Amino acid sequence: MNMYLFELRAYRKNTLMWTLALTGLALLFMSMFPPIAKEIDEFKKALEGFPEGVRKALGLQVETIGSVNGYYSYTFMYIALCGAIQAMTLGISISSKEVREKTADFLLTKPVTRTNVLASKLLAALTCILFTNIVYLGAAVLIAKAVASGEFSLTAFLLISLSLLIISLIMFALGTMLAVLFPKIKSVISVSLGVVFGFFVLGMVAGLEESGRYFSPFKYVDYAYVMKKETYEWPFLVVGFIIIVLAFIVSFIVYKKKDIHTV
Amino acid sequence: MNVIEIDGLTKTYGSSRGINNISFNVEEGEIFGFIGPNGAGKSTTIRTLLSLIHPTGGSAKIFGKDCVEFAPDIAKDVGYLPSEVFYYDNMKVMDLLKYSASFYKKDCSGRIRELAEKLDLDLTKKIDDLSLGNKKKVGIIQGLVHEPKLIILDEPTSGLDPLMQQTFFDLLKEENRKGATVLFSSHILSEVQRMCDRVAIIKEGEIVQVEKISILKENNHKKFKLEVKSDISAGYFDLTGVNNLEVHEHHISFLFRGDINEIMKKIAEIDIANLWIEEPDLEEIFMHYYEKEV
Repeated sequence: MNMYLFELRAYRKNTLMWTLALTGLALLFMSMFPPIAKEIDEFKKALEGFPEGVRKALGLQVETIGSVNGYYSYTFMYIALCGAIQAMTLGISISSKEVREKTADFLLTKPVTRTNVLASKLLAALTCILFTNIVYLGAAVLIAKAVASGEFSLTAFLLISLSLLIISLIMFALGTMLAVLFPKIKSVISVSLGVVFGFFVLGMVAGLEESGRYFSPFKYVDYAYVMKKETYEWPFLVVGFIIIVLAFIVSFIVYKKKDIHTV
Repeated sequence: MNVIEIDGLTKTYGSSRGINNISFNVEEGEIFGFIGPNGAGKSTTIRTLLSLIHPTGGSAKIFGKDCVEFAPDIAKDVGYLPSEVFYYDNMKVMDLLKYSASFYKKDCSGRIRELAEKLDLDLTKKIDDLSLGNKKKVGIIQGLVHEPKLIILDEPTSGLDPLMQQTFFDLLKEENRKGATVLFSSHILSEVQRMCDRVAIIKEGEIVQVEKISILKENNHKKFKLEVKSDISAGYFDLTGVNNLEVHEHHISFLFRGDINEIMKKIAEIDIANLWIEEPDLEEIFMHYYEKEV
């Protein structure tokens, strides 16, 4: 418990900043919706001018962009990107901290098992991610209700917004595993940005094919599908879940066994 | 009773340095020195004892329990001070010490204050603002705060001024009187001689000797350097107890072991310009151990 609270305190500021950033981003995007909705026909025409490949890669759906959810799902790509960066950074940072800040001699000679150490850290980080997601979700619903005029499916909106949590969890698990396998990571943010942008671009390119979507967690939730069916695609959720579980298992095994060398 | 039992402990890192088949015991209540030059394997041994690294062969037990298997259990009664201390930045000294104490199921706030007063450490400062020596003091307090039964120190005196070293040694001796066993690693022979009952000498990953300090002192060599005014015959100092005799014109140097009176008489008989008698450094003692093996 003491380690959990300690880590939670250490990442308090960071989490608040990310939460504010994500919420602010949603506010910014959604505040642009009413003017766009007013002149939606002109806007659609302009979008149709883009080649189809570009539209698909950017996640632009001309038919639905005039609806709140359609527009939201397009802008949500970038919010998810930010959430992924937060989660990956947190994952790498929290479990490589002892090596980076050379505090392993302090923490790992205390009367606690390494499993306990890692579990406390992961729980603290998960709490941070959950906090961000809950606050974001609440704020996003309020914002959407404020700008929505006419029909608006709250279910679809919630499902789109909750994909932030799914992406965050996968990225967090991958980040944790990365940090445990390569503890000498010096610059957390550059590694994290590199990996997340890698997945993002991979999602744009490989995501054009149905089977290619498995390669990028950004494509596990297809917003067009969610808006139509108001549900997730289970195979992708299962793959995501397996990735998370595997990454955590590997992390715990390696963390327990690895040697901590002098600095 | 043995507090530490090390039996055939081996740790190899691929092909590079490590420790090879190390065995020695530390008895309850003693201050045990662990000396050797840099890179000899002192830290590797200590880190294996603390389960920071895992042995590739042999075993080590503390309080009769296996170091790897029962690491958290053992850690309850072990205090460790690393050679270089690093702590989470952005924390106040008091907060860090409280965090450290929170791992042990004891109320330690009184003891934190008491130790901080003895070591003259300001608890309200931020860790990043502390000098090397003051960080070390934080390390000392966090190593002693839970009144451990075994104190493991890895080259602990670096960064402390001589006065503070004395205070620190007094603290250790006090803990020792209360029953704590101390394992003290160092490459500085004099501090080990001052503190310890017994020592293990390690070189290139192997234990060269485990000896009582008192015996080591008897065996101790003195390093003589003389400048003479006139030529003397090469065989003049060729007597038992003299090693490494070197004569360069008027400069003579040798290591001597034995009755100091004898050699002083010998020196008194010749006309000397200058004389130095020094404690040999650790390297020279090691050389001596190797010579004996050959």
